[in-house]
Amino acid sequence: MKILVGCKLVLEDQDILVQNDGTLDFSKSNIKINPFDLNAIQTAVDIKENNENITITALSIGGEKLKNIKIRKDILSRGVDELVIVSDEKYENILPHQTSEILSHLAKEQNFDLIICGDGSGDLYAQQTGIKLAALLDIPVANAVSKIIKIEESKIIVERTLENEIETLEIPFPAVICVSADINEPTIPGMKAILAAGKKPILEKEIQIQDSFLVETTELKAPKRKERAHIIIEGDEEEQIDEFVKNLRKVI
Amino acid sequence: MNKLTNVWIFSDTTSKLAEIISGGFQLANKVSVIALCENDAKEAFAYGANEVYLIEETDTSNIIENYSTTIAKIINDIGKSLILMPSTKRCKALASLISIELNAGVVTEVSEINIENDSINCKHMVYGGLANANDVINSEASIALIASGVFESLQKDETKQAEVLKISFIQKKTTIKCIERKIKESSSVDLNKAKNIIAIGRGIEKQEDIKLAEELCKVIDAELGCSRPIAESEKWMEHERYIGISSIIAKPEVYIAIGISGQIQHMVGVKDSQTIIAINKDKNAPIFDYADYGIVGDLYKVLPAITQALKK
Repeated sequence: MKILVGCKLVLEDQDILVQNDGTLDFSKSNIKINPFDLNAIQTAVDIKENNENITITALSIGGEKLKNIKIRKDILSRGVDELVIVSDEKYENILPHQTSEILSHLAKEQNFDLIICGDGSGDLYAQQTGIKLAALLDIPVANAVSKIIKIEESKIIVERTLENEIETLEIPFPAVICVSADINEPTIPGMKAILAAGKKPILEKEIQIQDSFLVETTELKAPKRKERAHIIIEGDEEEQIDEFVKNLRKVI
Repeated sequence: MNKLTNVWIFSDTTSKLAEIISGGFQLANKVSVIALCENDAKEAFAYGANEVYLIEETDTSNIIENYSTTIAKIINDIGKSLILMPSTKRCKALASLISIELNAGVVTEVSEINIENDSINCKHMVYGGLANANDVINSEASIALIASGVFESLQKDETKQAEVLKISFIQKKTTIKCIERKIKESSSVDLNKAKNIIAIGRGIEKQEDIKLAEELCKVIDAELGCSRPIAESEKWMEHERYIGISSIIAKPEVYIAIGISGQIQHMVGVKDSQTIIAINKDKNAPIFDYADYGIVGDLYKVLPAITQALKK
């Protein structure tokens, strides 16, 4: 059985700086694997551990970020068998309708049974890519998958956690599932996995899609923060705690 | 703002129909609702819908997404326009499926929407809540998934009823079968209604220590909340108490953060509180940037001391 996993690279959001005018400065931000995709990779790795003859191929699309050798190795050290990359400057900040289109071309070249994606990405969190990918491939898809119950030759049974309900779904292969952040706790790769990653194959592909203006982002700005008093007391001796309590009494 | 001639509405959750229809009337002159059951059709009319298309299908093993082809066909046949849905998980999936059939642009978790020169402008949070993006949808059919509470519900008028327009269901090539559906055990907590909230984070070392924060809750009449790791990694507290971008977003009068560093993904959930108070041993924790009052110290010393003091 062949599993494909969608893997996006995102910026470390803790390092994004908000300028005085509300615009964002990304220049200090490192890149990382989208946290939701770590759950997707782990889901594939768990399936591989419990079943025989499974190969996992990670698919990643992006711009400059994807040229980074360290991050490529990072993806491979998480337990996937190979990595397929489409790296092109113009794919740096693409939206879900474009990402899903490129992914669909990659998927068509592979003889897959299951595609696993994260429910969304840490940067845009549009939560559309995996579903649109399935629609383009004309195969079934479920999002919010929180548990893999069983895998059979021709289908997978999963649990899906919605706002007020839990559904158990039977999904025939080939299919796409988008997993939630609480499906598993991604493993941190050990030394052996990191070393092995260097020997795993990376395939670079070139895929061109037409420009699309279905949705365009016209502005990106941090919201204005509420003014705060910023009365901070340093130290936890009796005196300081008393002072803190005085402050608390002003509002409680 | 100009108004559209008509808008389409679908909701997988009956209770969300009221606010989405209300939004529909703010954006367009005519509201057409697509419903999957008689009850939703009645609700839609009671909230003022001009017309309701009812898809006739009785097989309950269908999941909502299996209706995507039928819904896309109705919209394609009658007329492409703006489609509004609530930002639920099911609607996110349904919207993405429909968007491929209608070549429609989609924006999820929309917190503001307006129409300018026939373009749909949608505002939504990105980068974990650090910023807002303004997206313009340029396609003939467009889909906006509206976040909770963006539109106020309209008054219901049960006497407003009309004939539904019945549509037959179109089976998809391969479909997903739902073999079991159970109601999630819901907790009675509703942090959105709490006047005061105290939340704990990674600074709490063991599950038993949560009671220290519970004591303070009793004294100042607050609900207890937590940051993501406490609910999702440690699973010490139920999901309904977790505050942050993908869960509770509240506006209490007083918010007290105990051992919470103040990452943006958490702060999005409470940044509009009237007063923010922080207890953290790390002077450089971002939480202090958001705080009105704070103390840099050991929560195990501070928490019992202030609980005692405030009892008096």
